[in-house]
Amino acid sequence: MTGPSGVGIGWRPEIAGFVAELPGLRFVEVVAESVPASGPLPSGLVQLRERAVTVVPHGVRLSLGGAEPVDPARVAHLAAVAQRLDAPLVSEHIAFVRAGGLEAGHLLPLPRSREAVDAVCANVARVQAELPVPIALEPIAALVDWPDDELDEAAFLTEILDRTGALLLLDIANVYANARNRGTDPLALLDRLPLDRVAYVHVAGGAEHGGYYHDTHTDPVPAPVLELVGALCARRRPPALLLERDGGYPPAAVLRAELDALATAAGLPAVT
Amino acid sequence: MIDLAASGDTWGIPGPTFLRLYLVATALVVALAVYYRVRPVGDSRDATTGPLGPQQVAYLNGGPRLAVHAAVGGLRSSGAIGVGPDRRLLTTGPTPSGLTPLDQAIHWAAHQRARAGDLPQDQRVREALDQLRAGLEQRGLLRSRAQHGTARRWAGFLFVLLGIGLFRLVSGLFNDRPVGYLMLALIPVLIAALLLRLVPERTRAGRAAVRDIRRQHAHLAPASSPAFATYGAAGAAMGVALYGTASLWALDPGFAEQAEIQRQAASGSGWSSGSSGGTSGDGGGSSCSGGSSCGGGGGCGGGGCGG
Repeated sequence: MTGPSGVGIGWRPEIAGFVAELPGLRFVEVVAESVPASGPLPSGLVQLRERAVTVVPHGVRLSLGGAEPVDPARVAHLAAVAQRLDAPLVSEHIAFVRAGGLEAGHLLPLPRSREAVDAVCANVARVQAELPVPIALEPIAALVDWPDDELDEAAFLTEILDRTGALLLLDIANVYANARNRGTDPLALLDRLPLDRVAYVHVAGGAEHGGYYHDTHTDPVPAPVLELVGALCARRRPPALLLERDGGYPPAAVLRAELDALATAAGLPAVT
Repeated sequence: MIDLAASGDTWGIPGPTFLRLYLVATALVVALAVYYRVRPVGDSRDATTGPLGPQQVAYLNGGPRLAVHAAVGGLRSSGAIGVGPDRRLLTTGPTPSGLTPLDQAIHWAAHQRARAGDLPQDQRVREALDQLRAGLEQRGLLRSRAQHGTARRWAGFLFVLLGIGLFRLVSGLFNDRPVGYLMLALIPVLIAALLLRLVPERTRAGRAAVRDIRRQHAHLAPASSPAFATYGAAGAAMGVALYGTASLWALDPGFAEQAEIQRQAASGSGWSSGSSGGTSGDGGGSSCSGGSSCGGGGGCGGGGCGG
């Protein structure tokens, strides 16, 4: 099992046939909750593993940012999936998806308080105790900040990573969206993040609605996001970058061109 | 020999002797029937000529009607055909290149404003389908009418034997002779005759070919909500070929409904001239399936994914 490297793409059943035919592909990510802990694995994933393509399970339902402890059954599932896919690491979001037994159905941002840091660190420690592999944490996008934030984004993340020893899954499209929607400088955030802790980077498309930029995952990756990829790689090139596409799938040629543009922006070899 | 036979024997042949001869004859006919059924047909040199196209796969999997639907799926996916408010097909845009004879025939029929349901009866379409079928017969994947006839003829001989046995049974009953063993022997003969009468259109090689291609194209199964926009015209045609018109409905429900294309899932269990597959429920799926990294649940269509 080798760590994620090069340009990858989010494996989704809808485009499994497209992903299977990318000759240079070394790395994909799969939504952990969509992989069964027992029984047959999706045949597309089995074929990728036979080609020694790294498959990283990406959790979306753990709710690491919840005030209550993470659900042991969900942690066990994530660990089992990591084992089955022979994954070098797993990833999850710094977010909460349920509170007080109520499912939000969305990834919700945490207030950046010391209390939230404590809660996240406690949950990450619980997960790490059960996982056979390291975990990378991904901060999420938020249209607005909580009013009582004690820490800024960089300090909040650095604190969590330092205390848990976890890796960082940096979503460059979120960095762009947050900066754009708040009118701040994305490069200033990049300069303050621990880029040496980045396991891999998410890149996704988005669109503007009502004056806000939305990280939709169903639109093409806009040029400013690719420029930000270039700026990030100029500072420190992450080992891998992954294109996330969750719907509105374009013709294969368009998707390939997007992967190529990402490889070019990052200075990595093309996978198509 | 005559004096060996007891005077009461039916047709002057003792029961055990008849039974022995009868069973030997039956075994011989069954052996020949099985041989003609399983022996490889077609030109073996042709068996390895290139991969099968979606329309060939469709013909193997669901007969001429599914081949037509596969071509319709491909043409619709490339934007070459549409459907009018009168539910008749029409052509849109320039004729795409690289069309098969069946594509061309359907494109022409669409240009003539044919209904999708009438396509298999269209003269040019029928010619293209016959051509498709001939190619599959040559590759030994489908039985030709002649091979079909040969295979069934041996089953016919079995029915003749069955008739002889029944006649002897009735004669024996009238003669008050014991017929218990004969009656027992007739049961397997009847079963063998009935089984061998059903000669599938597809050969063993044809079934294996469909099975292999289905395995290679598992990503086109409706359960995966395949992104046909990404897979293109060939993917759409193969999706219909392997998984029935449910794929056509998933590809373009508006078109499928307007063109009155019946929603069917290909069963993969073969077909006989006339019908294909069983109907299925909704094979479609929105892109809002749980596979997204947006957090599933209500995460679709909302604001940002955030992850």
